[in-house]
Amino acid sequence: MAPADPAFLLVAIGAPVVAGLATLLLPRRRTALRVLLATAGPGMSVLFLGLHLDRHGVASNSTGTEAVSWIPSLHLDLGFLADGLGAFFALLVAGVGVLVVLYARAHFGDDASSLARFLPLLGFFTTAMLGVVLADHLLLTVVFWEATSISSFFLIGWNREDGAAVQRALQAFVTTGMGGLSLLGGVLLLGDATGAWRWSELAASGVEASNGRVTAAVVLVVVGAAAKSAQWPFHDWLPGAMAAPTPVSAYLHSATMVKAGVFLLGRVLPVAGALALWLPLVVAVGAVTMLLGAALALRQHDLKRLFAYTTVSQLGLLTCMYGLGGAVDDHGHAAIGWDLGQIASHALYKAPLFLVAGALAVLLGVRRLPELYGLWRRRESGARVLAVVLLAAAYALAGGPGTVNFVAKELFFDAVVHAADGRPLLVVVGLMAVATAACNVAVAVRIAANALGRRSGIRAGDPPAVPVRAPDRWTVALWLPAAGLVLLQFVGGLVPTLWNAAFRPLESHAGTGVFADGLPWVWEPFLHPGTALLMSLVAIAGGIGLGLSGRWRDEVVDVHDRLYPGAYRAVLRGGHRAFHTLQTGHLQHYLVIMFVMLLGSFVWAAWIDPSLLEVPDGLAPFESVTGLLLGALVCASAIVLPVVTERVVRVLVLGASGFAVVGLYLVYQAPDLALTQLMFEIISVILFLLVLRLLPRPDRRPRVNPGPRLALAVLVGVTVGWMTLLAGSAADQRREPGGGHEETLGAFFEAHSDHGSELTDGRGGEGHNVVNVILVDFRGFDTLGEITVLATAALGVWSMLPGRGRQREDEDADESDPQPVPLGEGAGS
Amino acid sequence: MTTVLAVCVAVIVTVSVYLVTSRELKSIAMGVFLLGHGANLAIVAMSGSPVLPGGLLRQPPILGGGDLVDPLPQALILTAIVINFAVMGFLLTLLILTARRTSTLNVDELALEDPPSDGPVLDGEPGRRR
Repeated sequence: MAPADPAFLLVAIGAPVVAGLATLLLPRRRTALRVLLATAGPGMSVLFLGLHLDRHGVASNSTGTEAVSWIPSLHLDLGFLADGLGAFFALLVAGVGVLVVLYARAHFGDDASSLARFLPLLGFFTTAMLGVVLADHLLLTVVFWEATSISSFFLIGWNREDGAAVQRALQAFVTTGMGGLSLLGGVLLLGDATGAWRWSELAASGVEASNGRVTAAVVLVVVGAAAKSAQWPFHDWLPGAMAAPTPVSAYLHSATMVKAGVFLLGRVLPVAGALALWLPLVVAVGAVTMLLGAALALRQHDLKRLFAYTTVSQLGLLTCMYGLGGAVDDHGHAAIGWDLGQIASHALYKAPLFLVAGALAVLLGVRRLPELYGLWRRRESGARVLAVVLLAAAYALAGGPGTVNFVAKELFFDAVVHAADGRPLLVVVGLMAVATAACNVAVAVRIAANALGRRSGIRAGDPPAVPVRAPDRWTVALWLPAAGLVLLQFVGGLVPTLWNAAFRPLESHAGTGVFADGLPWVWEPFLHPGTALLMSLVAIAGGIGLGLSGRWRDEVVDVHDRLYPGAYRAVLRGGHRAFHTLQTGHLQHYLVIMFVMLLGSFVWAAWIDPSLLEVPDGLAPFESVTGLLLGALVCASAIVLPVVTERVVRVLVLGASGFAVVGLYLVYQAPDLALTQLMFEIISVILFLLVLRLLPRPDRRPRVNPGPRLALAVLVGVTVGWMTLLAGSAADQRREPGGGHEETLGAFFEAHSDHGSELTDGRGGEGHNVVNVILVDFRGFDTLGEITVLATAALGVWSMLPGRGRQREDEDADESDPQPVPLGEGAGS
Repeated sequence: MTTVLAVCVAVIVTVSVYLVTSRELKSIAMGVFLLGHGANLAIVAMSGSPVLPGGLLRQPPILGGGDLVDPLPQALILTAIVINFAVMGFLLTLLILTARRTSTLNVDELALEDPPSDGPVLDGEPGRRR
């Protein structure tokens, strides 16, 4: 099959951000128009996804689209993969996106400026998320992945005046950002280890998965996914992210973005499922998160936090589900089925719960579970309908019969039971799953008891009496999206043929047993009772008991809340300490660090290659008497330099060593060098002497013990000298056998200095002095750089030259001048 | 010859490291200057000994002279000498300015000293433009 054209997918991905940005062009007051335009973005996405699927069908996970070239050298092109998993997620993201825009209009009310700020961000997020789920190139996924983290950061810190919210936004950003880094590392390693840089190639390559590098890569990817999907121990950012406005919580932090991690697990499952580490790692992380989230949800009173913890729990379950995908039984069936149904089921009750929680806060001022008390009996407009939607969504949360979630839970239990066959440890996961389900039921029971005003509810004081905002014509958008989504739960639960018709074509993992043909009718699990049904019944019975009992009702704080601030403080303190240890402000310390590093790297190199310590052959120190004498002169003048104290003498000694070096250049047959060095040496000595006149005489101070300094200096000197010896002798040895030096760059320059060869298209330097030709021809640009350095230095010296400011300085010395005039004033004139 | 140069480099580097780690800016400037010589000598040593086995010298890198020495290190050093000179000029100017502004050339005291707030303002000094 020929690869599909990516045009439709590109439009689908780009539409939301384009529409979001376009809203900025409309007049600020025309909110209806802006909302309409913003809705058109995800609406277009749905449309073009539909067109793409209609034209090309649902791709298998090994046939990506054609790629639009972007950065081919990095294996990063705009290629997409609209397989079942990707297309499903994209439809979910875009579909919920439309509803959330409408809801946001009602949520923000008449606050036009908030809406103006919100819609472009939401569009940006939608595009980023669509990119994550549709990208085929590994690195493209990472790019979009980071974009979702960034938009999440902006949306959590929505209330810029609220310091706590900004802190939470930072925490979310740091956590997911670290996850993103881990993902980047994993993806690079994965691509490098397999040579496949597209998910489709990866799925098709059938990598032999016993590979250690692939395992390492997958572990990194799992860490990235866990951070994004709020898995333990990274889960703490998600409840914190509830500082965001409710539309964001509903969209990013329950329905879509936090599922990116789960999505990624689904993406790598075909490759990673066979790894020995996959099942224990992913299942353990997921199971712990699942139970922890549920247990904490039971003891939250803030509605949004409560739902956040149930989200954490559910994400744990989904992670666990993909982990179980690594458990293959004797018949080659993996213990995973209808995974997209599971994910959709969660989105279809969790997003409504959030939307209703937001509506309750906006319309009735109800934010906490105790304030919910007696919602059913309240007379404010909208209270009753909100109560109905809330109860329906809570029923779905509990996984009551007749909802998709009931079947989804059954499906999960069934998978655990299957996987536990032959893996006794997974029985523990089964028990944890039952406990989790029971906690969910208990949460739902408590919500229901409170909303209906039963005695078993949690009551604290009187509910707020005054509506926060008067209803207007947009109020309907506060509950209608939620109602629509939760309705699908019941439609799918009661008429599974419709559900299967919609999702079956996208699913790639078929179920077993009752679920072999897709989600079953509501009565079928009861007709074929098994362990899974038993688990469900235990969970429901236990949950109802737990919900009505008086135990575990008070609010608790997650101990993990202290984990992030603690780690944050530790990092800051460690950085502070490291800074103060290393950055002392003393030049000497920095130099010592650098010299010790130099010594250390030599020791390290010698450790790796001990031949560095062997004395090279063919040393002939006495072959040139002139050279020997000049060398002795250089050494002597250098040694004398620190010993003499009279400063004029010191400068002269410095000059003496320079002139001796000129002599050495002559021995080395370098007349150009000798000439240049001679000239500069003379100027330098004169300059130094002039400068000395301008410097204060040093005051005598007690000498500190020079021993350690000397020792370091000798060590560094000997090391550098030794390296010189090695390099020089290597050059000697290289030249001796043939008598020439054809292999060196120098030989090339020598050969092409005058006339060229085929190598240089026949062009030569037309010069006989090879050094000159190198400077002005072969490395001409280098020389240009050198001239630039010289000119820059000259400009610097000229602009700082103290002589020019002398008159000014006299004025400065007079304290009465409060506004000192810049020394370099007039430099441009 | 390589041995002689290696010894020279060792001595020069020893002395310049000793000078550079001192507390006095003038000594540090001298150390930096000397270090340049050491580096140049190390590079020139990499062209190999100019003395042929028979005791004769190779020819300078000018065509037509028979067995030439390697021209590349010389070209590199030529650049290095010029830049070394530029650095030294700049360094000396800084020295003079430092001495005028702070009345000390001891690096430890300079580190403790706050940047002069009411001294003459230089063009391009970061953060001090009005």
